[in-house]
Amino acid sequence: MANNILNFSLADFFYNDNPDVLGTPLDFEKWINHSDVRKSFSFFEQEILEAPRVSTRIRSKLDGKVRKVINLTSYNYLGLSTHPEVIAATKAALDKYGLGSSGAPLLSGTFDIHTEFARRLAEFKLKEDCILYSSGLGANVGAIQGIMRKGDYLILDEKCHKSLIDGGNLSGAKMLFFTHNDMKNLELMLEKAKGKRTLVVVEGVYSMDGDLPRLTEILELCEIYRAGSYIDEAHSTLIFGENGRGVAEHFGVEDRIGISFGTLSKSFGGVGGFVCSNKPLIRYLKGYSSPWNFSCAPSPAVIGGLMKALDVATRDSSLRDTLWANVNYMRNGLKGMGLNLGESESQVIPIIIGHSGEKLMGYAESMQKRGLFLQPVDFPAVPAYSRRFRISISSQLSRNEMDETLSIIEDVIIKGFR
Amino acid sequence: MTRFEVIEVMKRIIADNLDDMNVDNIDPQKSMKDYGANSLDMIEVVSCSMRELNIKVPRAELAEIQDIDGLADKFMEYIDT
Repeated sequence: MANNILNFSLADFFYNDNPDVLGTPLDFEKWINHSDVRKSFSFFEQEILEAPRVSTRIRSKLDGKVRKVINLTSYNYLGLSTHPEVIAATKAALDKYGLGSSGAPLLSGTFDIHTEFARRLAEFKLKEDCILYSSGLGANVGAIQGIMRKGDYLILDEKCHKSLIDGGNLSGAKMLFFTHNDMKNLELMLEKAKGKRTLVVVEGVYSMDGDLPRLTEILELCEIYRAGSYIDEAHSTLIFGENGRGVAEHFGVEDRIGISFGTLSKSFGGVGGFVCSNKPLIRYLKGYSSPWNFSCAPSPAVIGGLMKALDVATRDSSLRDTLWANVNYMRNGLKGMGLNLGESESQVIPIIIGHSGEKLMGYAESMQKRGLFLQPVDFPAVPAYSRRFRISISSQLSRNEMDETLSIIEDVIIKGFR
Repeated sequence: MTRFEVIEVMKRIIADNLDDMNVDNIDPQKSMKDYGANSLDMIEVVSCSMRELNIKVPRAELAEIQDIDGLADKFMEYIDT
């Protein structure tokens, strides 16, 4: 390990060879405390000192200094986490209901505000019913674990989020992965699962690449093979479609989607997750979905804010329109520099650097010191040959901030200024 | 340990981890994916093989390997040293 320490990653320490169950893998401490590795990890868990607006301050773990930065790392795509009407509604709900729900939803944790918000989300997604969860991860884990059983088949796009895989593992269903957006490979997997209860899982916007599923073709295959469909619209709800209902609306296929998932932590600006489907299935889920049954219901104060966030984002298209104008401006600017943006079609834009982890971290450091906070995404979160930065565009970005961002990226990545 | 022995170890672990697999039917010129392995199966096979061979190869170095033969070549680099 001594001569190739930077080739190792968290992927190499998953299995623990230490006979002491309270100990870490034998080489883990040596690896994680190596100065180069510590420097790489300094880009993670950096403290944000103000609201996650585009313009904010962080305490840089590189040198401990407080820096004013342009923040293109938060998921606050529509700026709703700090929208004045959302804050006011949150405060009002806090005054009325207090901080916590003080109970699991099944027992004493369901307030009128939860029921009303779930009803409005179901109406928004054009589904019969909706179940609310305290976290997005919990919603995906809970929906898959609550519906699928040993002997069933779960077919996932290989780029699906960890929460979906965790749900699959917990359910005991057989999991098959198809090559990203490859319809021939999906068909092959559907053939393997033929005759079994099968659910096909895709995302609305793939979170590391910003591309979309080939949804119409995927649904055609689901219909031919009588498989159910599940779409994770974490990064696409309130962003895609004429009314912001997501990628299913964008492709005009909402009535063909079996289960629609969304988070409340990204465009919505709060925290939590929700799953919409037909009424009997949601009723059934409430019997078996552990993150709903055995976890405290979402904070009523947050639900109060989220209800207003849904209002603000859907009463007209102004926030979405501004976001898309910003996406186009930034994409054109980045493309003009000849950067590799992959197949992104959304507000999530990767800048793919390639094999070199050293380059990735070097760029991240230089950009941060110049006042641009971009999160480096390293292996194993993405393949080792396509390490990258992931840009989250926000409707809050001003033209000046976008020009400043483009100028820093050009200086550091294209011109190599340090 | 010879390359042949490394491949035998891997074949046995693949057969243990994948449904309906027999050691004699595994062709090292194929990918585990050809035998229906998903990414989690592959991590399990690689991890078990490395534990048995007593080597530590960074997963990042395995990203572009195409088949079982290629994996054996990579493992041999670490066994030799």
